[in-house]
Amino acid sequence: MRSCCPALARPAALVPALALTLALTLAGCAAEQPGLDTAGRDITPVAGCGDRAWTDPGDLGADRSPARCAPRAPAPRKLSKTRKLTLATSTLTAEYVAPLRIAIGKGEFRKEGLDVDLKVLPTPDALPLLAKGEIDALWAAPEAAVVNGINSGFDIRWVAGNFSPHPTSKSGLWVRLRKGENAAKVPLEGRKIGTLIGKGSVISYPMDTVLAEHGAAMDSLTFQQLGSSDVLTAFTSGAVDAAWLLDPVWRQVDKDGRYAFLGGQPAGEPLGGALFGPNLLSADVDAGVALLRGYIRTINTYFRGDYKKDRAFVAELAKAMKQDPDVVTAVPSLRMDWEIRKGTTDRLQKAYRDAGVTEGKPVPEAQLVDRRLYAEAVGHKP
Amino acid sequence: MSTLDKPRTHEGRIVRRPGPRESAPEAAHRRRRTLEVSLAVAVPLVLVLLWQLAASRQWIDERVYPAPSAIVADGWERAAEGELWPDVWATLRRVLAGYALGTASGYLLGLLMGALPLVRAALEPILDALYVVPKLALLPIFLNMFGLGEGPQVALVAATVFFFVWISTMAAVLAVPDGHRDAGRVFGANRRQMFRHVLLPASLPAVLVGARIAAGVAVLVIVASESIAASDGLGHLIFDSRALFQNDVMFVGIVCVAVLGVLFSELVRVAGRLLTPWAPRDRGRGQS
Repeated sequence: MRSCCPALARPAALVPALALTLALTLAGCAAEQPGLDTAGRDITPVAGCGDRAWTDPGDLGADRSPARCAPRAPAPRKLSKTRKLTLATSTLTAEYVAPLRIAIGKGEFRKEGLDVDLKVLPTPDALPLLAKGEIDALWAAPEAAVVNGINSGFDIRWVAGNFSPHPTSKSGLWVRLRKGENAAKVPLEGRKIGTLIGKGSVISYPMDTVLAEHGAAMDSLTFQQLGSSDVLTAFTSGAVDAAWLLDPVWRQVDKDGRYAFLGGQPAGEPLGGALFGPNLLSADVDAGVALLRGYIRTINTYFRGDYKKDRAFVAELAKAMKQDPDVVTAVPSLRMDWEIRKGTTDRLQKAYRDAGVTEGKPVPEAQLVDRRLYAEAVGHKP
Repeated sequence: MSTLDKPRTHEGRIVRRPGPRESAPEAAHRRRRTLEVSLAVAVPLVLVLLWQLAASRQWIDERVYPAPSAIVADGWERAAEGELWPDVWATLRRVLAGYALGTASGYLLGLLMGALPLVRAALEPILDALYVVPKLALLPIFLNMFGLGEGPQVALVAATVFFFVWISTMAAVLAVPDGHRDAGRVFGANRRQMFRHVLLPASLPAVLVGARIAAGVAVLVIVASESIAASDGLGHLIFDSRALFQNDVMFVGIVCVAVLGVLFSELVRVAGRLLTPWAPRDRGRGQS
């Protein structure tokens, strides 16, 4: 019998035809990778931003005062055409994101001609979108994922810092003390640590430092990744021996003799902030500078010094963060800091390598960090 | 397939000629099997080749969707260096332990509820209610009950498998034809003999179908569970490497899960065939 459909009788002929059709369809998905264009831009002095608007990146002093301009400086320089920007952040309730929310609420970005849309997106999901230009900036940190992404060729740079903790903050590594132990010397080897975020987070760096002080290494402990509400429960119930407790969770175990605070994020060294993709590093650098100018102006105007002393602002902050004002004031003010310290990415990468979450050669700081955009915003010629 | 010829005479007779299936059934069956096997091999192969081509020609972003060759090379390297096996073993251990517990408890309760109407009346409503709860939603409860470690993972797999096996067992026992039971009674079978020689053999093929479906779902649920609350296993490997933007490792994990799922499901199918030689022969997926 002769078949009505010869192709069906010969599947070997059908399959390449299907493959060719798919290949032709996929051919349209090819994307070009533009280069960066933040070098060689004119930087002019900015009113209200003097010598104190820039600190030496090599100054790692814990008591360093973060760079500041006068309140309401740098003044807005509205873009000729309103630009819509999409920013991603993994949370809207964390205090380090508050400057963005306040800037949006106070119209600081609008004054720059920017229409900023904040989207909640976990960093691993946001990273490919940032690299492809689907989103313009990511409010996160140079985590191991970012290093791996840049290592594999993505045009992403860490362009601004966010904060360093207040000297009285005890957000960091807490341990359950065993008999005869004290905070000065706790043998941590072989213990189980509960964390909200994994080894690829920037907390690997301070954790690596704290562990080294107590004679342990990252690979000598077991890490248990837990949900935000489970970390404290697991720690206090004894399911884990130590935990990295964030603001304001550490308050629950503070002044309890059974637990000891071993250390946290280094003072004066921001470990996160703004990450830009090709849109703001190449296609529209003016918009990138405008975004940072609005952010820096917000810090200079609303987040100076101990900003939580101002009860009216705390109420505003609590509303922006969708938190109770008591929760906001339960922990000290952060030191908002838009600058990036020299060598932070090297130290982060060392911790990532110790934790075994990055591969290959370390990425040089020049390929991870770009300080030129915030330098331009405050009128500092490096 | 037979064909119908147009009537050639004024009487309008229909002449039915035998097709290849009727005239040479063995050869037709062989051709059909060859076609099925060719399709089963060629379609995935061509798709993988197409993926490789798309990645090497940069039609797709290789940094996000690594080429199959890169995935195989990375998987091979990890396997050779021994980095992959602890995760494979951790997942396998949880699946096997949970599957054994879930199957045994589901089968026993299914038999009881199928055979004893009062037990069915007492337990069916509550089990029906629990059946519709997404099993992953039970993970926080298991974490509270068993703490961190293997307990919650094994319990989650066991709970998932239990419901598949329980339902298929109960339905299979209830569906045993009255004629079979009558035959048992005629031969004077007591309760134990009725169970051993009538209910068990009549229901086992359907039970094993449920067990086979549960095998796939067990792998599915453990991967989801490990991504939430485990420090090893293939689910942890996939989501951890995703969080670290190591897409090649993530795909290695996905491929391992797929292979594990197929192998486990096939193992249950083969075991079922050996246990129930009287049942209609299931020759595997995609075979007519």
